[in-house]
Amino acid sequence: MGLRVRLLLAFALLGVATTAVVASGSYFQARTVILQQAQDAAVASLTDQLTTIYPVRRLPPSQDDLDRLAQRLSDREGYAVILYRDMRAQGAQVPEPVTPELREAVGNGVIAWQRVSRDGEPVLLIGTQLMIDRPDGTPVPSGLEVYSVRSLAPEQQSIDRLATLAWLTGGLSLVLAVLLALLAARGVLRPVRELGRAARRLGEGDLTTRLTVRGADELADVARTFNDTAGTLERQVGELRRMEADARRFVADVSHELRTPLAAMTAVTDVLDEEADRLPGDAGQAARLVSQETQSLTRLVNDLIEVSRFDSGTARLGLDTVDVAAAVTATLRVRGWVNRVRADLPPGISARLDPRRLDVIVANLVGNAFRHGAEPVSVRLRADPDWITIEVRDQGPGLDPEVLPHVFERFYKADTARTRSEGSGLGLAIAWENARLHRHAGQTGSLLAGNDPAGGAVFTLRLPRMATGTPDAGGPR
Amino acid sequence: MTGRRSARALLAGVLLLTLLATGCGVRPSGVITGRSATTGPAVGAGLYLLSDGRLALVIRETKGNIVSPEQTLDALAAGPDESERRQGLVSEVPAGLVAASPVTATADGSGLTVTMTGAVLPLSAAAADQIICTVAEAIALTGGGDGFAPVTIAGPDGARPPRSCPVK
Repeated sequence: MGLRVRLLLAFALLGVATTAVVASGSYFQARTVILQQAQDAAVASLTDQLTTIYPVRRLPPSQDDLDRLAQRLSDREGYAVILYRDMRAQGAQVPEPVTPELREAVGNGVIAWQRVSRDGEPVLLIGTQLMIDRPDGTPVPSGLEVYSVRSLAPEQQSIDRLATLAWLTGGLSLVLAVLLALLAARGVLRPVRELGRAARRLGEGDLTTRLTVRGADELADVARTFNDTAGTLERQVGELRRMEADARRFVADVSHELRTPLAAMTAVTDVLDEEADRLPGDAGQAARLVSQETQSLTRLVNDLIEVSRFDSGTARLGLDTVDVAAAVTATLRVRGWVNRVRADLPPGISARLDPRRLDVIVANLVGNAFRHGAEPVSVRLRADPDWITIEVRDQGPGLDPEVLPHVFERFYKADTARTRSEGSGLGLAIAWENARLHRHAGQTGSLLAGNDPAGGAVFTLRLPRMATGTPDAGGPR
Repeated sequence: MTGRRSARALLAGVLLLTLLATGCGVRPSGVITGRSATTGPAVGAGLYLLSDGRLALVIRETKGNIVSPEQTLDALAAGPDESERRQGLVSEVPAGLVAASPVTATADGSGLTVTMTGAVLPLSAAAADQIICTVAEAIALTGGGDGFAPVTIAGPDGARPPRSCPVK
């Protein structure tokens, strides 16, 4: 059950219960008072009237006496029934209204009354005996019984009005309770909703999210705690980012610092390389090894510099409109792969992209296919109005499904046993970043790795035909 | 937990409403008793007849005349009149049994003595009570004594023990 419903129910129950108790209490009280007053007044009035019929002149009375008496005691509010032994005044044509228990009480010599229901109408019966004072003051029963029958309809009406009023009060209080509950629910739910919204924003990564702390209740406490938590989180994440940026800058700095000595080393190893053939045995081999490793190191440093450019967001596209088929063919020709690759490159597909980066990507993909897969390697170019697609596939064993999600990670070694690869371990990562650098209408270029069901790995490069500059591309992944 | 609690609260509310709905209006009541019955004076000669074996007061109009106890006893000996008989009133006092002399106070002043013309010992207890109560009533009415004074009924055959009127 929601908070709103619970509050609503609680308020409604409280309101209704309170009103029911108060209204019913006052209703019963008022009813008792109304009835008591009416009864007492009727009894007093009857007693007053009875004193006027004394002295009794004849006992037993004649039928005329009884009828006259009954007539004298009847008025607008009620009529009287007079009984004497078997006699009965003719005044009352109604069926016997007097209850046996009332007759019994009257027979005991007291004034007695009783409320009964006659044909659905409340009726008050008052009965008394007429006693005769003996000269010495002791009363003797005369045998005459007077019963007054009086309608309680007016009292019933007053009481019904009270009941209507009580129901009305109850209904109003229910409405009021519901309104109050809605108001209270809004007061409680608004901060809760704000809190939920802020928590969602924080979860989505907006660490600057803060709540406005209102009042000093428990919800304000929660808001304050939320703010503290968000603040701590923001500080720590900022710290982490700063440390990561430091680390990247360090790598970039180191790479740059290594370039100059490497250039010198390359110059020396070039000379050594030329002399290697003339050096005796081991010395020649060592010279070739040094030359080779220096080349690897240079490649690695260049790749690192490239990667750090992506990381720092300083990588920029050098856009140019090129014929894609020609560009890919050039890449293959420069590396001497034209005869080894089955190229399916329809001419006439032009695109606006960075030709240097396209060259890097294609060279990396084809080089990988030669190194890790098996020939024949095929390169296929396709295009639609907005995108060009270049597929590079080999006929090797394909990529291990466990490796597949990681192939674009930096320094990821598919074959753990092979600790040294010919590449820097950054090639696919750089290719991936290069693809992403191309951007069009909110979408980035992509590089996907997969396996052909028929066997062999398939790398699919997808680039927009009209790439735009990417000022914010290449941020940390 | 919450569901069960609110269900219980709902039940209580419904019960309360039912109670309210059924308790509305003017309900019939039991017999309520007040003070003792109305009393008032009577004018006329009071004498006691029997109704179903119990003493019953009968008042006869005297048209303002003061009636002596002896005259009342005469009326008692004459028995119930027409309308009284219709009401089922009877008398066990034999006809002709009247006072031989005026009612007098007993020697020690504690009671009354009425001397009758006929035998009094064979009288039934009810008949004796009729005489006792009628005499006491008449004496009280004429201011000659109180209604609880024991009355001795005497006759040629002796006297009955003194007795008070049992009607209270």
